[in-house]
Amino acid sequence: MPVAASAIYFLNLRGDVLINRLYRDDVGGNMVDAFRTHIMQTKELGTCPVRQIGGCSFFYMRISNVYIVIVVSSNANVACAFKFVVEAVALFKSYFGGAFDEDAIRNNFVLIYELLDEIMDFGYPQNLSPEILKLYITQEGVRSPFSSKPTDKPVPNATLQVTGAVGWRREGLVYKKNEVFLDIVESVNLLMSSKGSVLRCDVTGKVLMKCFLSGMPDLKLGLNDKIGLEKESQLKSRPTKSGKTIELDDVTFHQCVNLTRFNSEKTVSFVPPDGEFELMKYRITEGVNLPFRVLPTIKELGRTRIEVNVKVKSVFGAKMFALGVVIKIPVPKQTAKTSFQVTSGRAKYNAAIDCLVWKIRKFPGQTEPTLSAEVELISTMTEKKSWTRPPIQMEFQVPMFTASGLRVRFLKVWEKSGYNTVEWVRYITKAGSYEIRC
Amino acid sequence: MALSGMRGLSVFISDIRNCQNKEQERLRVDKELGNVRTRFKNEKGLTPYEKKKYVWKMLYIYMLGYDVDFGHMEAVSLISAPKYPEKQVGYIVTACLLNENHDFLRIAINTVRNDIIGRNETFQCLALTMVGNIGGREFAESLAPDVQKLLISSSYRPLVRKKAALCLLRLYRKNPDVVNVDGWADRMAQLLDERDLGVLTSSMSLLVALVSNHYDAYWSCLPKCVKILERLARNQDIPQEYTYYGIPSPWLQVRTMRALQYFPTVEDPNTRRSLFEVLQRILMGTDVVKNVNKNNASHAVLFEALALVMHLDAEKEMMSQCVALLGKFIAVREPNIRYLGLENMTRMLMVTDVQDIIKRHQAQIITSLKDPDISIRRRALDLLYGMCDVSNAKDIVEELLQYLSTADFAMREELSLKAAILAEKFAPDLSWYVDVILQLIDKAGDFVSDDIWFRVVQFVTNNEDLQPYAAAKAREYLDKPAIHETMVKVSAYIIGEFGHLLARRPGCSPKELFSVIHEKLPAVTTSTVPILLSTYAKIFMHTQPPDQELQNQIWSIFNKYESCIDVEIQQRAAEYLALSRRGAALVDILAEMPKFPERQSALIKKAEDTEVDTAEQSAIKLRAQQQTSSALVVTDQRPANGTPPVNQLGLVKMPSMSSNADHNSTDQGSSQENGTLSQVDPQAPAADILGDLLGPLAIEGPPTTAGEPQQNVIPGLGGDPDAVDASAIVPVGEEQNSVQPIGNIAERFHALCLKDSGVLYEDPNIQIGIKAEWRLHQGCFVLFLGNKNTSPLVSVQAIILPPSHLKMELSLVPDTIPPRAQVQCPLEVVNLRPSRDVAVLDFSYKFGNNMVNVKLRLPAVLNKFLQPIPVSAEEFFPQWRSLSGPPLKLQEVVRGVKPMPLVEMANLLNSFRLMVCPALDPNPNNLVASTTFYSESTRAMLCLVRIETDPADRTQLRMTVASGDPSLTLELKEFIKEQLVIMPTARAPGPVPPAPPVAQPTSPVSALTDPGAMLAGLL
Repeated sequence: MPVAASAIYFLNLRGDVLINRLYRDDVGGNMVDAFRTHIMQTKELGTCPVRQIGGCSFFYMRISNVYIVIVVSSNANVACAFKFVVEAVALFKSYFGGAFDEDAIRNNFVLIYELLDEIMDFGYPQNLSPEILKLYITQEGVRSPFSSKPTDKPVPNATLQVTGAVGWRREGLVYKKNEVFLDIVESVNLLMSSKGSVLRCDVTGKVLMKCFLSGMPDLKLGLNDKIGLEKESQLKSRPTKSGKTIELDDVTFHQCVNLTRFNSEKTVSFVPPDGEFELMKYRITEGVNLPFRVLPTIKELGRTRIEVNVKVKSVFGAKMFALGVVIKIPVPKQTAKTSFQVTSGRAKYNAAIDCLVWKIRKFPGQTEPTLSAEVELISTMTEKKSWTRPPIQMEFQVPMFTASGLRVRFLKVWEKSGYNTVEWVRYITKAGSYEIRC
Repeated sequence: MALSGMRGLSVFISDIRNCQNKEQERLRVDKELGNVRTRFKNEKGLTPYEKKKYVWKMLYIYMLGYDVDFGHMEAVSLISAPKYPEKQVGYIVTACLLNENHDFLRIAINTVRNDIIGRNETFQCLALTMVGNIGGREFAESLAPDVQKLLISSSYRPLVRKKAALCLLRLYRKNPDVVNVDGWADRMAQLLDERDLGVLTSSMSLLVALVSNHYDAYWSCLPKCVKILERLARNQDIPQEYTYYGIPSPWLQVRTMRALQYFPTVEDPNTRRSLFEVLQRILMGTDVVKNVNKNNASHAVLFEALALVMHLDAEKEMMSQCVALLGKFIAVREPNIRYLGLENMTRMLMVTDVQDIIKRHQAQIITSLKDPDISIRRRALDLLYGMCDVSNAKDIVEELLQYLSTADFAMREELSLKAAILAEKFAPDLSWYVDVILQLIDKAGDFVSDDIWFRVVQFVTNNEDLQPYAAAKAREYLDKPAIHETMVKVSAYIIGEFGHLLARRPGCSPKELFSVIHEKLPAVTTSTVPILLSTYAKIFMHTQPPDQELQNQIWSIFNKYESCIDVEIQQRAAEYLALSRRGAALVDILAEMPKFPERQSALIKKAEDTEVDTAEQSAIKLRAQQQTSSALVVTDQRPANGTPPVNQLGLVKMPSMSSNADHNSTDQGSSQENGTLSQVDPQAPAADILGDLLGPLAIEGPPTTAGEPQQNVIPGLGGDPDAVDASAIVPVGEEQNSVQPIGNIAERFHALCLKDSGVLYEDPNIQIGIKAEWRLHQGCFVLFLGNKNTSPLVSVQAIILPPSHLKMELSLVPDTIPPRAQVQCPLEVVNLRPSRDVAVLDFSYKFGNNMVNVKLRLPAVLNKFLQPIPVSAEEFFPQWRSLSGPPLKLQEVVRGVKPMPLVEMANLLNSFRLMVCPALDPNPNNLVASTTFYSESTRAMLCLVRIETDPADRTQLRMTVASGDPSLTLELKEFIKEQLVIMPTARAPGPVPPAPPVAQPTSPVSALTDPGAMLAGLL
């Protein structure tokens, strides 16, 4: 396996090192200064996540107000490095209880050092699963041997745990109420021309689970995807029910999914880890149901006036509604005055991002609100460069709607003791990069 | 400031200061810019207060580095506001945001003008400041007269007039036309009568700028300047507020003396006397005191006075007084003063002949070399380097060597370089030079660049007397237990080449030499191994009779390295092995290296480069640099050990093959060269040219020990050293801007047709020298492109347009020539067949904004491929007869020949490498010459020439040319004809001797039968 990192740095937005860990001594401790002076303080920040300075490669990403920088001096596996960062952040979040930012890091120095020691060794990523690490790396203080008797808890054996047949689940779990939560989260990426034709569109989806189940349960999940349904219709030798089937691309499963059974029987069956985990990921490119259609008309009237008309149409069911819809309509930098008329929500001009920002908190299905705005520009000294017209960006969340049309057909839980379980299923569709050219 | 009232502005600034990072700051700025835009767009208009506030914000944002491309209108409109606070913002922001090319400024011009001609002083000052800061052409054209009026009229307060003077200065720098009005010089002179010192200081700044460009118009100001200096020096009527620590206005003193330095001389004896009195007073009155500020001020005045003294070439007495003063300075404890003392001493050294006086302080300077402060050590090193000459070179170099082992690491490289150069330049004898360099390598091997040891090798190879000594020395050093790798390289090379010269000495048998060198092999790096392999091969070759054991040893080493991973080593090993198996043939192949072509010392070039970097562009420095080189020439010329003065040009080594034939022509050529230099070249630093030509001789050592005296002393040139001296002390004026070639290009070309080195082309920016060597049908030019300026020449391009008969290959010419540097571009020439066509060099470069392009003929002419051979009568006549009739033998009657005596014609032929064979022809009026022509197609070809002159009519002659190749015959005949008809104009024809008896044409029959000759005769 190739090296993923020689050193990892956590920096705040000003470029101060919050915490760092050197895994190999082939990079100097001052290399991060090069990052600060050559990347952070230039305009290139944010243009390319991989940069090479002075024989070292810097991989960086920003998470809330923290830059995580990985420095390597050899030919490293970039994808592996970024995956490591993402997983590490997920791990920290699960330890800190959700938030990962500068303050969280400052408050958890010791814990982070412990975790950094554990999750990577000499530049090679190790076990990053929060469930397992939490068994061994805890925030309990050191117990004085004289204060109380030693605990009865058996000392967990890490080796056995990791190398066992079901390495991701402990035995002997008991819950009073056996529950399973299943979320299907999809994000839609779209690039649409101003005429309304789709230039690029895909959906990336995740199936997230949270299990509170006793013992060693065996779960089976059925979706309305093509492979599963075909298999089923063959088995039962009867035509499938009406309704469309979904073709999933690039499906990735959590390690708990039994792949041999998936290959032979085409069913997703697994022994789940305890707590939260991501069961599978997928992508679809065909047959996407777009939740919104945007029809912009932006007219430049002379040198100093622009007329903006934007119509947004929600094309999901009338009973559903979208939340937190934000539409950002770019305007030229020299915008001086704006006036709006909107049929719902609120709009204002944000000079910091050079956009008209139109916010609609609750957006019911099958409606068509419009915005019309007049923008006045100030005349400038410099030769008027023609405005580049960046695309309109949109943010939203639509609960109980999947852009792919994916549905859970069944989720069966089977355990030796045969207890009853409660299953909860949710769907949500979010905007990825949802852009409409204007 | 006025900001206190503006809450919005201070809130904004504190917001910005509280930003944690750049991104927050950017967001805040963008937000504020949006706000400002909205405000400016507001139809209702802004109150003056609001406008002022937002324009201040804009300026603040602009100063933070963000683009502000709007709001200029608002800023400009504030200029016309009636109140001071608004006007001030308007002026400041306009000056900051707009540059001279902005259209918006046109709107402002009228308002600004109104302010300038108005009676409100504050507004006048604001407007003048803004005009000075922007200072574009439009401002200059429309406002300069008003500004001049302000400056001249005495009805305004000094405050305004000061500003006006400075404003005019700024405008002048941008656009010199502003003061090109009639009578400005007189007004300037009147201004200098001003009593107010503030106005005077500002006007003096203006004057300095004016005279730095043209001093001619301002002669009338000179006595006034001296008067001002007098007034200051006597402390007459100086108001208290212009006295700084008891010194009357040091700033004005310095400026005035700076202005005086731009005038070439002070002619009026009275003025000169009073000026020297003042200088004397300054020199006498300055001393080191406790107070730092007072010291600073008085020293500033003093050093400027020193510069002026140097400039004026004062009497020796004053100079020695200066040096004495500086000597006092360098003995002071205070490092700053010592530094200044050393620096100025270095400067003095460059200008005048005070070396002997400075030498008295040598001990003190050497002590400064051990100062704890490195900048002082550097100065001391520079000074030592500068003051070194033949008389004290030995002491100084030894001192430097001693110091080397304790010197700072940062200095060692420079130190060793300088020691090497000094040793090279002033070596009393060459063995001393070798000693010094070997010591140098021994002591500071890491800091000795390759150039230094290459140079030693060149030296030793070129000087046979030195070889045994160097070899013995190298052998000694090899005995040391741990020696530096550079030492291994140089010793191995020298032993390989010259080790056999030591054969008789104990411990120097080939076997012993081999073993002592071979000991070093395991410890050296790959770059040294090839040198060692060559050494082994050479030792092996010199082993007579062959030693079986040594042979086996060496072969096994070659065998081992034959599979080395390094290509260079592998190739050498393989080739040496193969060669050494061939036995006797080895001796030819591995014979001693030929002598190196003379070239400019790479070391000196390197040192020049580093010096130029630190060069400041002030007038005094420029002058000093120009004079440095002449000083150098003078030291070179100083007779060492009482030998008679030697013409420097004679030292340029002629290629040995042509030295006999060329002797006379060289003589003439070089005298011509000197003549042209001293005649046409008063503008450019003549010493530079000499410096370039003298480049090669730096390694020749002192004249006493240089190899061949007949090359050094050329008879009949007694007057020339004077000419050289004269040209060296020609006053150096400002550089010309227009690029006119110096000297006649055609003349230079003709001169170069006869000799092999000289100047091909020269203008104020560049000098192209040429040096050629010819061997059979091949030749090698080296073009020396010398930049004479202190700024680099860019876009340098040289393209050769060769005629069809020459194959020419020019090596890469660098795109830029660094300041005051010389680059060499070798050019290979191969002659394919005889032809008279001339190759053309299309040369272009860019200086400033001028593109200069010249087309130069290259002296690769027919006669360069001739090789004179003497022919006896027995050889001549059979040849002459065997080549009968056209096209192998051509005859022609040439008319319109430049009349010249027969002897001179013989010389001319000789200079074309046509060897005149006396007494072959019975008729004394005829000349017979022979030569060999080389080209790729004809190989060596004998050519015979016969010229029959008519003593009665010297303008015509008959010429017969014969050779084995028809085209060669034709070309050679035409060539000689051209040369006889079109003579180089520089040659003065000698007195025509009394006409010898009439000669009969020897072969009238052949002349009639020869159609070519008939035709030529008819034409």
